[in-house]
Amino acid sequence: MRRLAPIALLAVAVTLAAVSRDRLAALETTPRGGNEDLLYLPNGRYLRAASLGHASLAADLVYLWAIQYYSDYDRTDRYRFVEHVFGSVIPELDPHYVDPYWLGAMILTVEAGDLEAGLRVLDKGFENNPTAWVLPYLAGFECYRARQYERAAAYFDRSSRAPNAPALPLRMKAGTVAKKGDLRESIRLWEEVLRDPRADAASLAIAERQVRDLMVRADLADLGAAVEAFRSRERHLPRSIEDLVRAGLLRRVPQDPNGQPFVYDAETGRVTSRAGGVLGAR
Amino acid sequence: MSASEAPRGRPRPGALDAVFAIAVNTFREGIRDRILYLLLAFALLLIGASRFLSLLTVGDESKIIKDLGLSAISVFGLLTAVFVGVSLVFKEIERRTVYTLLATPVSRWQFVAGKYAGLLAMLATNVVLMSSVLAAILLFRGESPLPLVTAEFLILVELALVTAFAILFSSFTNPILSAVGTAAVYVAGHLSWSFDLLKKRLPPGAGRTLCDVLHAVLPNLDRLDLKTAAVHSLPLPPGEPLWGALYGVAYTVAVLLLSAWLFSRRDFP
Repeated sequence: MRRLAPIALLAVAVTLAAVSRDRLAALETTPRGGNEDLLYLPNGRYLRAASLGHASLAADLVYLWAIQYYSDYDRTDRYRFVEHVFGSVIPELDPHYVDPYWLGAMILTVEAGDLEAGLRVLDKGFENNPTAWVLPYLAGFECYRARQYERAAAYFDRSSRAPNAPALPLRMKAGTVAKKGDLRESIRLWEEVLRDPRADAASLAIAERQVRDLMVRADLADLGAAVEAFRSRERHLPRSIEDLVRAGLLRRVPQDPNGQPFVYDAETGRVTSRAGGVLGAR
Repeated sequence: MSASEAPRGRPRPGALDAVFAIAVNTFREGIRDRILYLLLAFALLLIGASRFLSLLTVGDESKIIKDLGLSAISVFGLLTAVFVGVSLVFKEIERRTVYTLLATPVSRWQFVAGKYAGLLAMLATNVVLMSSVLAAILLFRGESPLPLVTAEFLILVELALVTAFAILFSSFTNPILSAVGTAAVYVAGHLSWSFDLLKKRLPPGAGRTLCDVLHAVLPNLDRLDLKTAAVHSLPLPPGEPLWGALYGVAYTVAVLLLSAWLFSRRDFP
């Protein structure tokens, strides 16, 4: 009997603990899904002081907690404190921890649709980590997605100038500049990629194709503009491309990258290239 | 015959021989007692955490493993320093073995130095073994553990300093108060920057002077913390680890001298 008494006591204690836990859960009145947890998240500076020399580990723990927190899509108002957590609390604990900057920025731009907040987090990350080229690269990518090509090109430029940056940001800058319509500047940038010692074989192949394609597109644009200018001035279409040179609208008759002349239709005034379609239609 | 005099006919041992003998005994005692269990717990925690965290994090898993590893070395070392250090001298007094020991040609400073050296050797073994486990995990993941070595060395210097305080407190009070005192020094050592902050908010006078004195007298343990820089492989200002180590060692020697002085003035019933 004496031997059974502790076992019985243990069983009673475990049962009581389980019942109490369930009762407490039933008494919980606060609806799940609010931001109550975050209201009590201290400022990073105070967490740093409280970590007693283990601020980097504290940053890891807040980051891990934040990942789990923001992985719960049922939460209401889940984007209210994202910038505070990823752009303030974690960086104050460990300003050199790069992952939280880009993850926070992704949540803000992709999920919350708040481009400006995402860019602020990425800017802060790059300010604290000037070698983390990926941060302005992502900022450029998000601006590109938002069709803000001027801004995107500026971010890709910052990224490509960061130490240890690969050729990728410069490629993206060249592509973005073409997207905003500056084909000649884009060609210059792609030629820069071709000379860049960081460029790998794939980047070089892409750059070569882009230069060919963009040169055709730029020449076609120049020829089209010259034809239009000729028609405005002479009240009829030019008979050939040479007419454009004679009229002083072109310096010389351009050739496509294969050394072939552009094809001019005197009936419609349309200029085409046999070298077209290098990268497919845009 | 005084305690420091050697009996006639027996060769008087060198000052460091006695320190070495006490240190070896202290080291053996410590190894038998606790250290292996701590190391095992640490290794399991680290290996378990690295596997577990790989499921939870997004991005660089190694950063978390390094942080956890360095913090675990520091915290487990601190626990060893506090719990073993504060009872080292007290236990000898309580068991009355100190009377026997001091009756031999061993002076009190040799006793304190020997006890300290034994505990430091135990802590060094502790840190080296835990660092080896961390290094093995990093190597298994294809990462070099070398950038962490400086931070691990300065953790040992920090532990040496905290241990000196544990010995200091245990030389004149009981283990509970010693543990509280040592923990307080550790906390204050990591918050010493706050004295500057507090000083700015105080009116000129005694309060500010007290802040200056505390800031100057208490150890600044943040100076010995290179964990974040090591984890991110950040370039350090030239000489920072060296000056940090020198600061820690000099401070430790000062605290030990104070401990030896206090212990030499203590009366045993």
